[in-house]
Amino acid sequence: MNSRRVWLSVLLPMALLLLMLAPLQVNLYWLRILSTAFMFATLAQAINLIAGFTGYPAFGNVVFFGLGAYSAAIVMAKAGGGFALGVVVAVLISLVTVLLVGPPLLRLRGHYFAIATVGLNEMVKALVSNFSPLTGGGMGLSVPLPPWNPAESAQVFYYLLLGVMIGSILIAFWFKNSRLGYACRAIRDDEVKAEAMGLRTTTIKTAAWAVSAMLTGLVGAIYAYWFSYVEPPAVFDMLIAIKFFIIFLLGGAGTVLGPIIAAFFVEYISTMLWSNLLDYHLGALGLGIVLIALYMPHGLMRFVRERGLSAAALLKPKT
Amino acid sequence: MLLTQVVLNGILLGGLYACMAIGFSLVWGVMNIINLAHGSMMLVGAYVTYSLYSRFGIDPILTLPFSAATLFVMGYALQRFVLNRVVMTSIFFTLILTFGLDMMLINLNIALFTADVRSITTWYSGMALDLGGVRLAYTRILVFVIALLITFALHQFLKWTRTGRAIRATAQDPRAARVMGIDTAHVYALTFGLGAAMAGVTGSLLTVVYAFSPVIGDPLTLKSFVVVILGGLGNMSGAIVAGIFLAVSENLVSGFLNPGFRDAVSFFLLLIVLIVRPTGFLGKSSYAAART
Repeated sequence: MNSRRVWLSVLLPMALLLLMLAPLQVNLYWLRILSTAFMFATLAQAINLIAGFTGYPAFGNVVFFGLGAYSAAIVMAKAGGGFALGVVVAVLISLVTVLLVGPPLLRLRGHYFAIATVGLNEMVKALVSNFSPLTGGGMGLSVPLPPWNPAESAQVFYYLLLGVMIGSILIAFWFKNSRLGYACRAIRDDEVKAEAMGLRTTTIKTAAWAVSAMLTGLVGAIYAYWFSYVEPPAVFDMLIAIKFFIIFLLGGAGTVLGPIIAAFFVEYISTMLWSNLLDYHLGALGLGIVLIALYMPHGLMRFVRERGLSAAALLKPKT
Repeated sequence: MLLTQVVLNGILLGGLYACMAIGFSLVWGVMNIINLAHGSMMLVGAYVTYSLYSRFGIDPILTLPFSAATLFVMGYALQRFVLNRVVMTSIFFTLILTFGLDMMLINLNIALFTADVRSITTWYSGMALDLGGVRLAYTRILVFVIALLITFALHQFLKWTRTGRAIRATAQDPRAARVMGIDTAHVYALTFGLGAAMAGVTGSLLTVVYAFSPVIGDPLTLKSFVVVILGGLGNMSGAIVAGIFLAVSENLVSGFLNPGFRDAVSFFLLLIVLIVRPTGFLGKSSYAAART
């Protein structure tokens, strides 16, 4: 039985079961850490779709997180809508944004595209900060509080984010095995040849980015409700982008479960850094990215496997 | 009258933008590295100047050699020992590396100098040239002239000196360059060092005309990027024209619409260029023509 089957048939269901039962045993602090890990796992999975499968590193993908958060916040705070409506609007706004900026931006090749998305994030951040009547500008927007008490609230958001994370795994799995996914990988491997084969690359890339953006926007909307407050520097924050990017890198581009596993790892380290080395948190994450790019560019799993440290290799009897 | 003032100030700022873009363009054109840490390197230069100014009272303009030297060494070392390991493997990872470096530099600047917004006031800071109602601050004129001089100097260096020609040769064809006896690893490190030095110098110049803090690096990198795209990779006159164009546009939007939209202008222009003419407006690349 190879290590992959061990994972999928035994460990994964066990892990999921443990996660589902966690709120009964674990205190609120750890619930929050786990919930944050779920959130970042989903964000990493979303970037995996556009960067890992399609080869377009959208460094600024956090813009959809911010747009989702603000859409939901505006719907709930200004229009009196409920959370569900906020989520729907968030996803729609993300979709519309991708449809607008996707075709022009996706013309840029990989690395120019990356910097252009960072610029997109900066621009949207500036726009949001300056449309004060609607968005509350630099002072941010307060979202109506959820109806549950803190303990219940923590559990609700825990399960909500867990569900979304599982959903993102399913989406990634569907994506990987769909025609769209195959087309994206063709584009990643050689865009010119893909076009020569007759693939409509712009449409395909936009579609992939749209899925990524909508997922990110959904997470953003949940964030807005969870934290009950949004402000431009917090939701259009490159720190969020760097964090989910590092998770995505560590997990291995183009894998389905990689980002999920890496998310727990990075979130744990991030929390430790935050509580002990606050002043150097940003630099430490930057250093992490540098080290990964230098030594583990294909993610942790490949690194481990190549060095014979994987479960299968360790379990093999020494001949 | 206000319009003239705004436009003229824009032109003066444009010189600075051109200077910042040319360093970025050099590294991009020769090594195909988009240095996302460019803006933060500018700030390192700015802080070198600030330290020398606040501790020893040296005029910012006189600190230029120091920030250039500091950043050159830093850039050379970075390229030779860190970036070189990935630069030939994948553009993606080089980008990620510079992204990580950017974060580290921002943190370094915050740790050493705090996130406070600072600026430098010299004895000539308040004085201006009065042209019939339009006031042009001496600091801005000085920065404009120096920025253009440095941009021109770099261009001439690349064109006429032996090292400059080695750099251009390596950009055109690294293997042929090696066959000719050029130490390409050294050339790459030199180029990156030069790009960093340009960033440092621009950062130092920035201190007298702008308030700065560690976090303004990213918008500056973006502006460099836009200037290069507008003006064409490796094109000095293109960078100057594009830099002025961007600065004037920013000033117009900032002055007549909303100051908060200043940083959004660069991105907006980028979008327009991408939709209308993806190869830029002012010319073909001279460094890396084969490498699109």
